[in-house]
Amino acid sequence: MPHNESYYYTAYVVATVIYVAYAAGLLFRWNRVKARLPGKDE
Amino acid sequence: MRSILADAWLIARKDLAIEFRTRSAFLSAVVFALLAIVIFFFAWDATAVAAIDLAPGVLWVIFTFSGLLGMHRSFGVEQPDRAIDGLIASPIERESIFLGKAIASLAFVLAIQIIAIPAVGLFYNLPLARVAVPLSLITFLAAIGLVAVGTLFSAMAVNTRLAELLLPMLALPFFVPIVIPAAQATAKLMSGRPVGDAFAWLKLLVAFDIVFVVACTLAYPFTLEE
Amino acid sequence: MKPTPLTIAALAAVVVTYIRAIFFTPIEAVQGPVQKIFYIHAPAAWVAFMAFGLVALASALYLWLREDRLDRIAESSAEVGVVFTTVVLTTGPLWGKPVWGAYWTWDARLTLTLFLWFIYVAYLVMRGALDDRAMRARYSAVLGILGALLIPFIHLSVYLFRTLHPRPIVMKPSAPSLPSEMLTTLLLAFGAFTLLYIALLRARYRYAVTRDGANPAEEHRAS
Repeated sequence: MPHNESYYYTAYVVATVIYVAYAAGLLFRWNRVKARLPGKDE
Repeated sequence: MRSILADAWLIARKDLAIEFRTRSAFLSAVVFALLAIVIFFFAWDATAVAAIDLAPGVLWVIFTFSGLLGMHRSFGVEQPDRAIDGLIASPIERESIFLGKAIASLAFVLAIQIIAIPAVGLFYNLPLARVAVPLSLITFLAAIGLVAVGTLFSAMAVNTRLAELLLPMLALPFFVPIVIPAAQATAKLMSGRPVGDAFAWLKLLVAFDIVFVVACTLAYPFTLEE
Repeated sequence: MKPTPLTIAALAAVVVTYIRAIFFTPIEAVQGPVQKIFYIHAPAAWVAFMAFGLVALASALYLWLREDRLDRIAESSAEVGVVFTTVVLTTGPLWGKPVWGAYWTWDARLTLTLFLWFIYVAYLVMRGALDDRAMRARYSAVLGILGALLIPFIHLSVYLFRTLHPRPIVMKPSAPSLPSEMLTTLLLAFGAFTLLYIALLRARYRYAVTRDGANPAEEHRAS
């Protein structure tokens, strides 16, 4: 059996980082937009 | 239906008249194509790859990028003084505007190819004479697809902040199902295979043309305000 | 943003999937441990294409009904979709290098996914370049529909190209019949990542609603 664990770990880490980074970014954007809301009427 | 085509032809003639008067876009595109053909030749090792193997790729890459230059001007000319409003206000179907501009771009792209293809043949020493007819057919079909998609995205991109970046970004993925069949069919022809071998690719090209000419013509009115 | 039951369920499902895939699923004999990338790669690919399907559907409905909701759904699905597509395009090469010998081999499915990524990115860049909300919605809808039309043509072109230019491959991954433990993990993974997609979609949609200053109660108003 080949020993290619490093690719396997890297892939899981990369995928997780991508999802977490996106969710975090979304949270960050949400907070920024909420801060602008009170008093702002479109 | 007939009036749509008649109006489209009017618009095409207008666009071609404008282009003919200044010729700047056409000349720029031709010079670009010729320079690119030359640069491509020097960009690789002629002892490693035969010119005849590289030529189809070069031909179709240049077709794509010089085509983009032509496409950009299609709606670009209507930008000054918002001339496009005049077209929209006139009593013609909106599809005619699209078809007219597409036809003008088709003439533009074909005119470039009439110069570029023989130039590739000259610089790369290709036996073009015997494949002239099938190659012309492939070019014509490819140009129809290119122009259908390019004209629609030109109409859209021209209204955005990043027009020059956005047009290639939008259009190039759509050009791929044109370039792959065209280049593969051209390669088959160049290597002396019978025309029938290229037929499967031609069918794909025709299918793409039909789908996207219809889709883009129908989509164009949606890009305009009510 | 309060974590909703959906979000918690999605996160739990993903964590369970990871644990099961890493610790409780057997290692495939021929490919070795790297085969386990399959359990995050394949579900991400499924979601990537499904997300674009929703973009196309919402786009078509928008052009018909002209409801802002639909534009926000399309925009949200596109953004979440590009995230999943990026995961496919990063995990694929990491799986390909040890198994096929090269990071990128122009494999038909991965190439199609690459084009999906390009279409998504063009969609998002175009949206970013348009400030007029109505124009942005209309243009996006047109691109969403045309992009969906393009996918089968790319698929066919690349497939024909590949069959005429076969490339030597060292090993073929993803055998058609999986042992039951692996199949269970895979199905669990599909479910978990689909839940994750829905949770992210919903969150992104809520963000769009807030950003647009629209009152959630007034969503039903046609534009």
